[in-house]
Amino acid sequence: MSQAAAPSAPYMGQRPSKPRRGRPTAAAVVVLAAITVWAGLGVGVDLAAIGRNWQNAVVNTTQLLQPDYAFFPKTIPALLETLNMAVIATFIGSLLSVPLAFLASRATNPNAPLLGAVRFGMNLIRSVPDILYAAILVAVVGVGALSGIMALVLFNVGIIVKLVSEALDAEDLGAQEAALAAGATWTGANRSAMLPQILPSLASQVLYTFEINIRASTVIGLVGAGGLGILIDNVRSFFRYHELSLIILEILVMVLVLEALSSALRKRLV
Amino acid sequence: MERTGADIRFENATVTYPNGHAGLKGITLDIPAGQMVGVVGLSGAGKSTLVRTINGLVPLSAGSIAVGGHTLTGRGGTQLRGRELRELRSNVGMVFQSFNLAKRTTVINNVLMGRLYHSPAWRTLLGAWKNDDVELAMRALERVEIVGKAYEPAASLSGGQQQRVAIARALAQRPQVILADEPVASLDPPTSHVVMRDLARINAELGITVVVNLHFLDLARTYSERLIGMRAGEIVFDGTGAEADEAVFESIYGRSLTAEDVLEARAEL
Ligand SMILES: Nc1ncnc2c1ncn2[C@@H]1O[C@H](COP(=O)(O)OP(=O)(O)O)[C@@H](O)[C@H]1O
Ligand SMILES: [Mg+2]
Repeated sequence: MSQAAAPSAPYMGQRPSKPRRGRPTAAAVVVLAAITVWAGLGVGVDLAAIGRNWQNAVVNTTQLLQPDYAFFPKTIPALLETLNMAVIATFIGSLLSVPLAFLASRATNPNAPLLGAVRFGMNLIRSVPDILYAAILVAVVGVGALSGIMALVLFNVGIIVKLVSEALDAEDLGAQEAALAAGATWTGANRSAMLPQILPSLASQVLYTFEINIRASTVIGLVGAGGLGILIDNVRSFFRYHELSLIILEILVMVLVLEALSSALRKRLV
Repeated sequence: MERTGADIRFENATVTYPNGHAGLKGITLDIPAGQMVGVVGLSGAGKSTLVRTINGLVPLSAGSIAVGGHTLTGRGGTQLRGRELRELRSNVGMVFQSFNLAKRTTVINNVLMGRLYHSPAWRTLLGAWKNDDVELAMRALERVEIVGKAYEPAASLSGGQQQRVAIARALAQRPQVILADEPVASLDPPTSHVVMRDLARINAELGITVVVNLHFLDLARTYSERLIGMRAGEIVFDGTGAEADEAVFESIYGRSLTAEDVLEARAEL
């Protein structure tokens, strides 16, 4: 034992010198700063505008600090619609995402052309922002919650498939190999050997998506896709800032409460 | 209800890996039904390649292997694929060095994977197993004396227990052949003996043909009636443990026997 270890002993016993990391970090900061300045110049950031408009800003901000609580009953239907949209979209999006995630992972889909096609499709879906989906669907399907739900579903599938297929890629393939060696089909092996392994991360992803949907469903309403967003658009175009203020407060409370619930749940999962 | 073992017949079986490395160099070998064979050799000798060709996990480049009523062939022939390949695999159980369990699900769910070939797709997808399949899985767990853990997560079991679950998974297939690729390499010496005894008992009681790769010579001699020595993709010894003398060791290992090659000596260190 001691003899076998002898040749390597002096090397393992020596302290290594500390690896140098300082310079690359500094260089990265400089590069990032340069890019930011260049980007600011590019979009024509006009800091002086804030100074010129300050009177306006003071008036509006004062109004925004005084929510009109009497407006609350009138916001309830829109609030519920927003919540419903988020729940339904999370549910449908997750159901669609599970099979797609298995098709989008190298670990679970041995068919290279199909894998490539699914991944390409998913990249396309993910490259379109949620608000753009909403705008397009409002034009095609019409104003209302249905367009909003469809937009959120597309948005969710993009996220969940990416994160879950990455979890599959990282998973140990031993049990899957054993199932295939026992004569299982790929579907059978993936269902019984891989799905249980990624279930906690899938559940966590679904909850996270729900959190995102609560926020997103308010924003996509601005282009007519249902929920609180439509109401925001209405009161804002009539400069009813006290009412706008209440809606913002409602969103704030709703998002904070649901996020706290969801992250508490997620902590228990993984 | 149990079936008897199957013959395994290698004819000039050759494996050339995609990188050009010769894994098996034209092996011809006859393993009669119900035999327990130990395969020994240095790391890289081709032991894993040999057993993994038997269930088609490693495809042959040339030659053929007949297992029961099926024949695996190289690229020249009509390679087994699809349902036929899966049918062959359903008759061959496999036990791995690292147990290969789905750790986050229960022991019984792991053992039921041995029934996947016989389970219709809809049942598999819903996890709605036939009662007969659950019964087979429970009996397999009873045989390796671990049925009490059926509803525990596999991750909560010790290494030796996990390997016995893996053996139960192979048994649940009601296989004609069981392949074991260094099944005790991750276990301590006492547990190694428990697992090897399980395999030997299964072979003796059920008549299942067992091919087991072992790094340690003494384990192979104790538990197998036939010893096959491999070196560089070829069979350099084929006989009983008693026939394997010092000269034979040298031909397999390329040097004389050391403490590294036997389990008991290592256990004493
Ligand atoms: N997938 C592979 N690709 C290329 N070479 C491989 C592959 N698998 C195994 N080998 C090589 O084939 C030889 C035999 O490997 P293996 O059958 O695993 O030996 P053993 O199980 O006896 O350690 C080794 O030299 C190994 O490096
Ligand atoms: Mg090996």
